[in-house]
Amino acid sequence: MADFSSMMEYFPEFWEGFLMTAEVSIYSIMGSFILGTIVALMRVSGQFFMDRLARIYIDLFRNIPFIVLVFFGFYGLPEVGVYIDAFWTGVLVLSFAVGAYVAETLRAGIMNIDKGIIEAAQSFGFSKIKVYRKIILPIALTTSVRPLGSVFINLILTTSILSTITLNELTSVSKIIASETFRPFEVYVFIVFFYGVLTFILSGLITKWHVRLNRFASEGA
Amino acid sequence: MGYGDEGFTIYDLQLWAEGLGITLWVFAISMIIGITIGIGIGLVRYYRLPFIGKLLMAISEFLKNSPVLVQLFLVYFGLSALLQIELSPNQAAIITLAANTAAFIAVIVISSIEAIDKKQLEAARSFAMDEVTILKRIIYPQSLAIAMPMLVGLLINQLQVTSLISVIGVYDLTRVGDIVNQRTFEPFIVWPVVGLTYFILAKIIGIIGSKLEKRFGSYRMMQEV
Repeated sequence: MADFSSMMEYFPEFWEGFLMTAEVSIYSIMGSFILGTIVALMRVSGQFFMDRLARIYIDLFRNIPFIVLVFFGFYGLPEVGVYIDAFWTGVLVLSFAVGAYVAETLRAGIMNIDKGIIEAAQSFGFSKIKVYRKIILPIALTTSVRPLGSVFINLILTTSILSTITLNELTSVSKIIASETFRPFEVYVFIVFFYGVLTFILSGLITKWHVRLNRFASEGA
Repeated sequence: MGYGDEGFTIYDLQLWAEGLGITLWVFAISMIIGITIGIGIGLVRYYRLPFIGKLLMAISEFLKNSPVLVQLFLVYFGLSALLQIELSPNQAAIITLAANTAAFIAVIVISSIEAIDKKQLEAARSFAMDEVTILKRIIYPQSLAIAMPMLVGLLINQLQVTSLISVIGVYDLTRVGDIVNQRTFEPFIVWPVVGLTYFILAKIIGIIGSKLEKRFGSYRMMQEV
């Protein structure tokens, strides 16, 4: 039968892996958000070439498995003289892959904005960048923040794939502990708990962000 | 480029074809099992059978909030150790993918049934239609039309998830990529070819899906008129 008593003595190792997973997630969330925002703006820019480029990016990164992208990055980039470690390869590939989903989510939010608001802002003589930063993005985020939250929760779960390129995060650490203890069932059930903690924290933060972004919204909205 | 490589051979093409075959086979089998079980779970939830519904939802939450890779390890290494049974990588892959798909299908089933206008069900019941007939004639065709886009999205997503089974030792497309890459040292050719194969497969599912959507969609329009 399952016996979890031996798991606690490995807590320090699990904790190290947990921190590594959290770290790679935080950087990738920031990276994918920045990249996704740029691509979403390219999509709505109304310029044919920008829009086409953004579409190709989104199409490719949403339809090619993450593990294939990671292998391309980890084994392929050194071939062209780019040497980066597993951690930053992970952050880079995750940012690109998840950025595609962020872009589509944000685009949907931008399309929902009342055109009159944007025209009003432009008539005040705001620069294009200021209109995007101060008006379009905050309003788009009020509706996109929840779907963005599930995109980022998926990002956290996807970090487990980085164990295949030797990054010592939760899944990788668990593999080592499982082979040491001969208790694979307990180990893998145990780390699901750690992933649960991470996704729980993130969804809490997303809810806070949602409330903050919607603080000016009227009751019914 | 590379060192000690002998370039690509015709044998690599054969490997690629075999990997593609295994990817498609595992995908097809696990989707069929997953969709069947998922519909079952969805219906159990819909008809509010006590206890089982709650339990199934808890399992489904567990599956949706943990990495599929960890689930694969849990089944392949964990379950076999716990239950003292031998599982082949392919069996573990199919079990994991099917369970995962079932969890998502259940949610799709429940939400598409709930999207149907309740008055239609009341009307049908007042005509003394029995529950099985209602399910067959009213719920099924309409919920299928509603579920179709979500189902296509899920299938495309699950196709990509199959790439993870290479990690537990299934000789699928990704594993073949790994093998060929290790021999030829040509990651800049191998991985784009593998990636493009998945991309084309996803596109094919998308095209078939949108054809089906149109067909069921038009059926739905006819019903509404």
